[in-house]
Amino acid sequence: MENIAFLPIGPEVILLAGAVLVLMSAVALNLGRRDWGVIGGISLIVAFLLSWAQWLRLDSLEVTAELAFSARNVPVPTNPMVVMDRFSAFAGMLIFLVAFLALVGNWRLVPKLGKRGAEYVALVLLAAAGLHMMAISSNLILLFMGLETASIALYVIAGFVRVERNSDESALKYFLLGSFASAIFLYGIALVYAGTGTLTIYGSGGIIDFFATQPVVLFDVGVLLTGIALMIVGLAFKISAAPFHQWAPDVYQGAASGSVALMSAGVKVAGIAALGRILFGAFPSRIDDWAPLIAVLAILSIVVGTIGAIGQRDVKRMLAYSGVAHAGFMLTAMVAGGAGMRSVWFYLATYALQLVGAFTVVSLVSGTRSGASSFDEYVGLWQRSPRLALVMATFMLGMSGMPFFSGFVGKVAVFGSAIDAGYLWLAIAGLVAAVAGLFFYLRIIVLMFFEAPVMAEAPGTAKAAPGLEGGGGLVATICAVLTILFGIIPWPLLNLVRDAVL
Amino acid sequence: MTDFPTLAVMILLPILGAVIVGLVPKRRSELVYPLALVVSFLPLAIVGYVLWEFEVGQPGYQFTERVLWFEPWGVSWNVGVDGISLLLLALTAILFPISIAASRSIEKNQKSYMVAMLLLETGMLGVFVALDLLLFFVFFEITLVPMYLLIGIWGSGNRVYAAVKFFIYTALGSALMLTGIIWLGIISGTFDFTTILDVPLTGDQQGWLFLAFGLAFAVKVPIFPFHTWLPDAHTEAPTAGSVLLAGVLLKLGTYGFVRFNLTLFPDAAVRFAPWLAALAVVGIIYGAAVAIVQPDVKRLVAYSSVSHLGFIILGIFAMTNQGITGGVIQMVNHGLSTGALFLLIGMIYDRRHTREIADYGGLAKVMPVFAGLFLYMAFASAGLPGLNGFIGEFKILLGSYLRFPAAAVLAASGVILAAIYLLWAYERVFTGPIVHKENEKLLDLNAREVLIIAPLVVLILFLGVYPKPALDRIEPAVAEVLERIEAETDFEVPEYGIPENVAGGGE
Repeated sequence: MENIAFLPIGPEVILLAGAVLVLMSAVALNLGRRDWGVIGGISLIVAFLLSWAQWLRLDSLEVTAELAFSARNVPVPTNPMVVMDRFSAFAGMLIFLVAFLALVGNWRLVPKLGKRGAEYVALVLLAAAGLHMMAISSNLILLFMGLETASIALYVIAGFVRVERNSDESALKYFLLGSFASAIFLYGIALVYAGTGTLTIYGSGGIIDFFATQPVVLFDVGVLLTGIALMIVGLAFKISAAPFHQWAPDVYQGAASGSVALMSAGVKVAGIAALGRILFGAFPSRIDDWAPLIAVLAILSIVVGTIGAIGQRDVKRMLAYSGVAHAGFMLTAMVAGGAGMRSVWFYLATYALQLVGAFTVVSLVSGTRSGASSFDEYVGLWQRSPRLALVMATFMLGMSGMPFFSGFVGKVAVFGSAIDAGYLWLAIAGLVAAVAGLFFYLRIIVLMFFEAPVMAEAPGTAKAAPGLEGGGGLVATICAVLTILFGIIPWPLLNLVRDAVL
Repeated sequence: MTDFPTLAVMILLPILGAVIVGLVPKRRSELVYPLALVVSFLPLAIVGYVLWEFEVGQPGYQFTERVLWFEPWGVSWNVGVDGISLLLLALTAILFPISIAASRSIEKNQKSYMVAMLLLETGMLGVFVALDLLLFFVFFEITLVPMYLLIGIWGSGNRVYAAVKFFIYTALGSALMLTGIIWLGIISGTFDFTTILDVPLTGDQQGWLFLAFGLAFAVKVPIFPFHTWLPDAHTEAPTAGSVLLAGVLLKLGTYGFVRFNLTLFPDAAVRFAPWLAALAVVGIIYGAAVAIVQPDVKRLVAYSSVSHLGFIILGIFAMTNQGITGGVIQMVNHGLSTGALFLLIGMIYDRRHTREIADYGGLAKVMPVFAGLFLYMAFASAGLPGLNGFIGEFKILLGSYLRFPAAAVLAASGVILAAIYLLWAYERVFTGPIVHKENEKLLDLNAREVLIIAPLVVLILFLGVYPKPALDRIEPAVAEVLERIEAETDFEVPEYGIPENVAGGGE
């Protein structure tokens, strides 16, 4: 026991302890909402700091990765379950940052849930733990368990607040389709096991080792490739890449606005991290086989997401479809292999912040519990609440990839990676689609800035003008400032992600 | 040259000013206008200093600043001016204080308006000095957002449609340019313009890159048939927006053609030149013909821009010394005269709130100063000798006749058409009896309005009578571009045997 390194799994330990504590506090300790928030927030902050500590620790280590549950003196154990490298440390920091912002930004949701608020906080912590597990796993089964832990927590969150009649429908849809995707992913793992005889990525007897030692003729390539393809499909569902995206608009719309930020941004981060771990960590030698598949998914997502978003009249649905397109943009850089991951990280980090910010604005405008967020609520927002409109405009311009906003640097990075890898056509298609994306990002700006607010017809039905206040206002402002900051001075983040590759 | 980052300060001052203006509290909103005006004079002062210190006849870039930003990408803060950018810089710096001064009648959210204007100024100043492709693109693209807001919020009638159309058209063009820039950056390992000049490109690469860059600039200029956004945007924009659109924003395209398409892809430029010259001629005649029949005076001037910009493109792609020099000086001339026309139209619009030519008539009787200034600007725009437009158009025709005689002959008809549409419009608006009663009590321009126009009047006359200082600065830079084209391709720049004898027969 004394040789176990706890640092790699420290975040999970903290988060699970936090989740249990929150649940216990509600039942036995008679603590209030405030305390759930403090416990939840502190757990996520500590988890973030632990990921940071992992990163710093890797600086002082000579090896690039440390494997948990192994003897210290043995650098590569036979079957490591968990890996601690800069890839997982960065993913951890990002996941916990997103989860923290999503929780704090939508804190107003918790009081409205009454006693069930504790369950909600605990579910957020469990989801964060599961998402992190996806990023640190070196074993495919453990990766699957992380995926399921996160997914099940999120299925519950999706249906947690029954805001509308279609909220049950969307939660059930999420659950059924999500389980289906998980099953496909699991089947992929089984086929990979059949092809390689191992479930571990690193270490002796791992998949890397297998490719290094086995002559190609000795295994059935077809089975292996099918396995890889099925795993890609499973994760493509989670990151809502087309054609596996249909659930996203319904689920985002059906779920309470306050809970969508984590559901969308957190899962995207972890899903991309898991995809990167599998493709670049386990199967870098088969890049010629999977890269075309990723390229097809990328172009499909970009086109389907962009076209889908154009017709929307609801901000949450629009963001869901634009999220499909953004998944496509990130996949665009993944065709470049491990080196492309640095572009993906930058894009992912900045996009996740924009997404959390945008959904926070949505819950400020429409209320954290509400399901709908019609475009009508944004008409003339500039005159009703100028700062809120400016913050939202920042996210829209950021997502559309205008210079001086982080989305621009991200787009340059991912398309640069794609062009570097010889996928010039993909970059051209992507950039043209990005222009088409302007239609719906600009439409929000048009509504907010160019149109006069419509006065409420009947007194009493008028909502008070939403403001940029409380935790939500703070989080949205932070996200907007970072969106501009990383657009003007992206170099620190770009330098950071350069190391976070496999 | 001192180490003081003159250009960086020039670019950043408007942003700083925008922040200061943005922080003015609501109860002191009367400070917004004077503050913005003062801020907009600061870059002008710096440009004045740059003009003064600029060493005439020196090849290459001056006032260069280079700070490496991000080694792995080869991105740097890399700026500098040469003769071509110098004059456009001056044009930008002059038009901004004038536009801001002319915006006092803006009442709706004046503070946001001024912030947008100052951000726009940063973008436009940056474009002309950027010597790093990515930096150039950032400035090129960022001008879109404030202009989009200016049209969309403070525009008239059909403003939202015009704003969105403007944004999408130009963004679509620049998306391909961005692909081209990234591709070029990956080929050469850097985005530094001067380093990329030494990177050999194959004919195919040049062709595609030329098209990628060219489309972005063609939309911006706009070259026929990419011009349809222009009449809408110009017409619906607020006065200052139209002035800056016509005065500076369109020049980003023509400047880009000279700076990037001719210089970076000379081989492709030589190949594509006849096509662009043909489109330019179509634009000249089409723009002029459509301008003649416009019932809306602002739309008329907008279409005249399509025609005038056609001249500039023709001059540039004639690829002769006179042609490109004429094109560059014409960029400045068009900015001054069309900018002034839009200002004047804005002033009459403030009084009468209509742009229909039919609503006017006989204004010369009640507004003699206004009529005189309008006629002066119309003459400048039509290229009357003695005013600036003549110098540019004459040099363009002279230069293009060497390379594309037929095009030059056809284009010359554009000069006549310009006289027709401008003078006919003048006739309908200003001469004859006053038919509409509303026009009888119109007040002539006040001192403030005359003061706004005055600098343009002086500059137009100065450049028309004595263009030598400007030409002295442009010509070495143009010669450098042409030398590069000759060195990289087997194209020989045609020249007149004895320039003195041709001056009479060239037109």
